[in-house]
Amino acid sequence: MPSIIEASRLTKSYGSRRGISDVTFTVEEGEVFGFLGPNGAGKTTTIRTLLGLLRPTAGRAAIFGLDVWADAPRIHERLSYVGSDPAYLGELTAGEQLDYVGRLRRLPKGSWRAVAERLELDPSVQIRKLSRGNRQKVGVVQAFMGDAPLIVLDEPSSGLDPLMQREFLALVSEVRTAGRTVFLSSHNLPEVERSCDRVGIIREGQLIEISPVQALLAGHWRSVNLVFGAPPPTGAFDLPNVQVVSATARDVHLMVRGDLNPFLRRLAELDVHDLSITTPDIEDIFLRFYDRDAPMQVDDAAGDAEEVAR
Amino acid sequence: MTGPAFGLDLRRSRTLIVGLVVVTALYAGFISVFYTNVVENAEQFESLLDAYPRELLVAFGLGEGSFADPGIFLSGYVFSFLWPLVASITAIALGTRVASDANRGFLDVVLSTPLRRVNHLLGSIGTQVVAIAIVALAMVTGVFVGDLLIEPNFPEDRVALSALHSLAFGAAIAGPTTLLAVVLLDRGRAAGIAAGVLVVMYLFNVVAALAPDVDWLSSLSAFRYFNLQGLIGRGEYPISDSLLLGVIAVAGWTMAIIAFRRRDLSA
Repeated sequence: MPSIIEASRLTKSYGSRRGISDVTFTVEEGEVFGFLGPNGAGKTTTIRTLLGLLRPTAGRAAIFGLDVWADAPRIHERLSYVGSDPAYLGELTAGEQLDYVGRLRRLPKGSWRAVAERLELDPSVQIRKLSRGNRQKVGVVQAFMGDAPLIVLDEPSSGLDPLMQREFLALVSEVRTAGRTVFLSSHNLPEVERSCDRVGIIREGQLIEISPVQALLAGHWRSVNLVFGAPPPTGAFDLPNVQVVSATARDVHLMVRGDLNPFLRRLAELDVHDLSITTPDIEDIFLRFYDRDAPMQVDDAAGDAEEVAR
Repeated sequence: MTGPAFGLDLRRSRTLIVGLVVVTALYAGFISVFYTNVVENAEQFESLLDAYPRELLVAFGLGEGSFADPGIFLSGYVFSFLWPLVASITAIALGTRVASDANRGFLDVVLSTPLRRVNHLLGSIGTQVVAIAIVALAMVTGVFVGDLLIEPNFPEDRVALSALHSLAFGAAIAGPTTLLAVVLLDRGRAAGIAAGVLVVMYLFNVVAALAPDVDWLSSLSAFRYFNLQGLIGRGEYPISDSLLLGVIAVAGWTMAIIAFRRRDLSA
C-alpha cells in the first residue's frame, strides 16, 4: 500500500518553546493511525505542520507524495480536517458554518445533513448557543462530510457523550471500510484502542513508539493471579517471559507476556483452583511511556529481583 | 474562491456595520439640523468658543474661521470629529479579523481546504472596503437627511464627495492594521498598536497646530490629510491627500497579502 503521510525527521521549534523534534512516521492508505499524547506533547504542532500551516524548522513531510509546505493547497483538495475546538464562528448557525466549509471543499450544499442526523445535531442553532458536546458534533460532522481520501482529526470526540462517541467510532469504522485514511490525534485511549490500526505515541515533542495497537497490547505484561489446591513445586514457573511478583503457599501473582501457550501448558499440570488474567489496556501502556520514574518490582521464581519499567 | 470568503466575512460583519450605520447616520443627521441655529447665532457661538483655551478647541478640530461656513461646521462637528472614531472602529475591528480567526482556530479550518490564503485575505479586505464605504455613505446620508429639514442648505455635491475622501481615510487605517494583524497574528496586540498609533498621530496633529516650530509633526499624522473644510467650503477636492491615503491603504493590504501568503501561522 502506498503511504499517504510520510514524515521524516520532522522538526518544528518555536524558539524557546518546545515544538516537535525528529518526528518520523508513515501512514498507509486505508489505515486509521492513532496519535497519542497528553496536552502539550506536540500532537497539534505535528498536525498543523502536516497541514502546511506551520513551516517545518527541519525535516520533511509529504501527504499524497506532495510536500506539505510547498504544495499545501493541492493537498488540501483531498483532505478533511477538524481541530480540537470547532466552535469557530459563534455568530453563525451550525448549518451555516458547515455549508461554508462544504463550499470551500467544493461539496454540494447540504452534504453534511446525513452525518448531522446521525449525530442528532440541530443545524439551525447558533453555534455560540450550543453546549460543548454539540459544538464538538459540528466538528465531527465537518470532518466526515464528503468523501475526502484523508481525514485528519485533532481530538475530535472530547466532550461527546458515550452514545455519540460510539457513533463517532462507527463513522471511523465506515471510513476505514471505504478504504479512506484517518489520522486521529487523541488522548482518549479507549477510542484509539477501538478504532486505530496503529498508534504513535508522542512525548515532549518526540515520537517514542510506533506500533500496531494489537502488538502494543500483546507485547506487554499481563497480570495473572492464581490460587492452587496445593503449593506449586519450586521452579514451576521458570519459563521464558514469566515473572513471579509474589507467592505465598497457594496464592501466586505473576506477570506473563508474549506467547501464553508454554505457561498454559504448565498450568495444566498443576492443581489450579482459581485463575484471573488482567490484560493491560492501552492506558496502562501509555502511562508506561509517561511514567518512567515509577518502576514495578518483579521477582522471578528464584527470588531474584528485577525492575520492569511500567 | 474569494467570493465565498468575502460573503462569509460580510455576513459576520453585519451586526457591526448595521450598528455603526445607525449611530453614524443619526449623529450626522442630528448635528446637521443645528446648522441653521449656528448660522443665525454665529457671532454668539464664536464669542462662546473664544472663552475656551485655543488648545482645547484645536484638540477637538475647531480651529480658525466661522461656523457659518458649512465646511468648518460639518468638518468640525461631523467629519473631523465623528469619522475618525467610526473609521478607526470599523478598520480595526475588521482589519484584525484575520488575527482573531487565527486565535480561535478558524483560520486552520479554512486554510486546510482548497481556499488559498490570498483569497481568504482578499475576502477580508473586500469586506473592510465595503464596510467603510457603507458607513461613510451612512454619515453623508445623515447629513443629507438633516439638510432636508433646514435652510440654508449644504452644498450637496461637495458633501457627497466627502464620502470618497472619508473612505480613503478609513482605508488608510485598515490597510496597515491588516498588515499588523497578519504579522502579529494576535488580535489584541494588533488592535492595541493600531489604536495607539492613531492616538499618537492625533496628538502630533494637535501639537503641530499649536506650535508652528514643530509643524513637521503633522506630516506624520493621518489626520493632517483628512481635512474636508476646503472641499465642503470651497469645492476643492483634496486629490493629493486622497491619493496619499489610498496609496497607504493599498500598500498596507498588498504587504499583508505578501506576508500572509508564506507566513508560518504560529502566533
